[in-house]
Amino acid sequence: MLRTDRDEKKLMMYTYLLCIVCFLNLAILKQPFDKGALVMALVTCLLIGYSYFVIRKFFSDGDKFIFIFSSILSVIGIVMIYRLNMAASIKQVIWFAVSVTGFILTVVILPDIKRFSKYKYIFLAGTIIFMGMAMVIGTEINGSKNWVLIGGLSLQPSEFGKLFFVAYLATALKDFKNFKELIEPGIVVMVCLGFMVLQKDLGSALIFFGISITMLYIATSKLKYVVTCVGLFAAGAMISYQLFDHVRVRFMIWQNPWPYANNKGYQIVQSLFSVASGGLTGTGLGLGHPEYVPVNTSDFIFAAICEEMGILIGFAIIILYFLLFYRCMRAAFYEEDSFSRLLAVGFSAMIACQVLVIVGGVINMIPLTGITMPLVSYGGSSMLITFLALGIIQKISEEGR
Amino acid sequence: MIDITKNIKRVLIVFLIFFIGLISYITYFEIIVGPSIVTNASNKRLWVKRNEVLRGTIYDRNMKALTTSARIDAATQKRQYTNGPLFAHVLGYVDIKYGIAGLEYKYDDQLISSSIQDTFTNYIKSGGKTQEKVGNNLITTLDYNIQKKAYDLLGNNKGAVVVLNPKTGEVLALVSKPSFDPNDLTGTWAGINANKDKPLINRATAGLYPPGSTFKTITAISALENVNGIMDRTFNDAGKLVFNSKESLSNFNGEVLGKLTFKQAYVHSSNVFFGTLGLELGNSKLKETAEKFYFNSNTPSDGITIENSKFPSFSFYEKGNIAQSAIGQSSVLATPMEMALLTATIANGGVMMRPYLVKEVVKSNGEKIKTIEPVSNKQVISANTASIMKDFMRTVVVEGTGGNAALKGIDVSGKTGTADHTDGDNSKPHSWFIGFAPYDNPQVAVAVIVEDGGQGGIAAAKIAAEVMKTALSK
Repeated sequence: MLRTDRDEKKLMMYTYLLCIVCFLNLAILKQPFDKGALVMALVTCLLIGYSYFVIRKFFSDGDKFIFIFSSILSVIGIVMIYRLNMAASIKQVIWFAVSVTGFILTVVILPDIKRFSKYKYIFLAGTIIFMGMAMVIGTEINGSKNWVLIGGLSLQPSEFGKLFFVAYLATALKDFKNFKELIEPGIVVMVCLGFMVLQKDLGSALIFFGISITMLYIATSKLKYVVTCVGLFAAGAMISYQLFDHVRVRFMIWQNPWPYANNKGYQIVQSLFSVASGGLTGTGLGLGHPEYVPVNTSDFIFAAICEEMGILIGFAIIILYFLLFYRCMRAAFYEEDSFSRLLAVGFSAMIACQVLVIVGGVINMIPLTGITMPLVSYGGSSMLITFLALGIIQKISEEGR
Repeated sequence: MIDITKNIKRVLIVFLIFFIGLISYITYFEIIVGPSIVTNASNKRLWVKRNEVLRGTIYDRNMKALTTSARIDAATQKRQYTNGPLFAHVLGYVDIKYGIAGLEYKYDDQLISSSIQDTFTNYIKSGGKTQEKVGNNLITTLDYNIQKKAYDLLGNNKGAVVVLNPKTGEVLALVSKPSFDPNDLTGTWAGINANKDKPLINRATAGLYPPGSTFKTITAISALENVNGIMDRTFNDAGKLVFNSKESLSNFNGEVLGKLTFKQAYVHSSNVFFGTLGLELGNSKLKETAEKFYFNSNTPSDGITIENSKFPSFSFYEKGNIAQSAIGQSSVLATPMEMALLTATIANGGVMMRPYLVKEVVKSNGEKIKTIEPVSNKQVISANTASIMKDFMRTVVVEGTGGNAALKGIDVSGKTGTADHTDGDNSKPHSWFIGFAPYDNPQVAVAVIVEDGGQGGIAAAKIAAEVMKTALSK
């Protein structure tokens, strides 16, 4: 116990150091010296430090690494966004503060997670409402009709839908006994995927599939269900390829983006240039040209990071995500209650799938689908959702010990 | 839910494999794909790099500056081409919006690499001021006077002129008409692209034309190499070669040339003789000879992109096509550069020199970085064959179809061509002339094409003569 205590503190120190060094770097690059960067560094460090203190003080039983890993990722994100778009990064810090508050409140206020297992149909309703919302009152941004404008804020309701979706699946699968019980969740999953394809949000569709299949396997331990689902998904993908033009275009660009470098494939080509220009150690923070990459603060932030900080930092981020994923799954490992377990597994898979889909897309390993990189990308709803999910996992980790 | 711990472990392993896959792919991308894509023209980072250095100057062989570059601000500079459209195709252009072409593209890395470095000692030496970085300069093989002459002689005609030094492969002039103004791309781009005459195409190296009778030179070479006793043969030219009820081949203007030797047939450009010769040689032999001159393949060159000239394959029964191909019609297509290289090879005793455009690369202070030496592409034909062809070509000008190319005091040799084509409504043939001078010690080889220029012995031959005169007058 003492051992991990020391490790945690060391890791926290490194996080502060990373934050300060990066912002100092950016401050020095500007003429005249940019004091704002130092303020940002200070605010970010204070936020992280205070939250860590709260978690340690009042909930010393839980897994503190979940928070530490997510702080490191958030710091990298805030630094990169500051370098790309100062105004956005101030908003991002505010969202970070809101999200961390949400994280702590989830842990503090939420009663025993087990008690939520009976609200199956509330979760189901939430899932359908949020998934379908953008279809009815949505606006199209960056080629996907999955945004809703409320007041001055643009939100992606499918982000909130994810939380309900995982909660619903956890209630539906927790007492799995036979095949019949899979029919209802099966239909719900298919409806959700259908919504996503119609909203041209293929990335989310892929993530929902990843979440469902992971939870299905954990709940049933039957490989044949998994294989069947993959088969069904492949069939669905084929059908949507035939039916929808936007699916075919994505696929075509993925196969060879170069003929479309100046029109449909512009984003991915610029992203590839960006990653390739950075090399192993990058051009240096503030010295590259990630400004040529479109939507560089959200979907393509990984490309921007690779260009300026190098693919070594890119690898570090991927490894950090895996460690975070591991710590989250670990919470499920020690949990007794099957609902909580499935919840933890679902949320962990949600984060991991998101990383795989967006990083794979940015480097053209898989067809590009515009989604955010959890914690790193600019975006309030994405960050809030991720921290809420992590808060629930944190809560579960405390129950488990 | 009994095996859940095992399941979680399995799921962890599956995701671990995915994450490792991601890292492996990025590594692959960085090592294998990355280096080849960063130089892609769509990568705007290259323009940032280009603008850090003031682009080097391009000179002609007599150190006349063909370009100037001036700094506007830290991120932009203005490239001016001192002679506007005169050198537009050969030099190309460099523009953030329209890309980079021609010699500017081929020697981009030299033009943007500067010998002035941002080192600490330089900083101290220059007293704390950062020096403007200036790219390396290029001294080309081009000669302003020859280029100007050829450009003016073509006048308002469409066409191209290629002038080479047959002994070295130096490109002395490379003219393509219509031209465009590289100094005002923004203002004229839309018009240039809408123009059906396609001014952006470098006709000298990328214009594919039927070579017409100039191609008889290759047919003659093929005959010299493959047909025994061809020199002693006599032939009766009845004015028409009939293949079947529909197809036949006639001489220009329906002339009947009568009894001819091989040499006379070349000198008077007998279609009937060469059509018959083509049938005797067959498609494969003729194609083999054409391919020795880099038809159907890349011509090794430096600083220029040469489009592949084309010689077709025919089955033995396609008699009409085979005979037509022997006189440079049917689907035979050649660039003016190709025909100039053919002439230069004959003038240079059968050795084709690699055409090149840059003689020297020098630092901004004039210090030499590298000199590009003439390189032989290969011995294409024997010295003996070359000397027979030289003699043939000399006779063309003295007593054959090429009389208009004759110059006082200079022994010009050459071959005319009048190429039928199907482009456009104008049925007037293209006018060709290929030749070299002086006969004894060839210093210059030319290829001239005047689109829709009519008979080769007139329009093209006159231009070729004047260009050679200018080239030899220094």
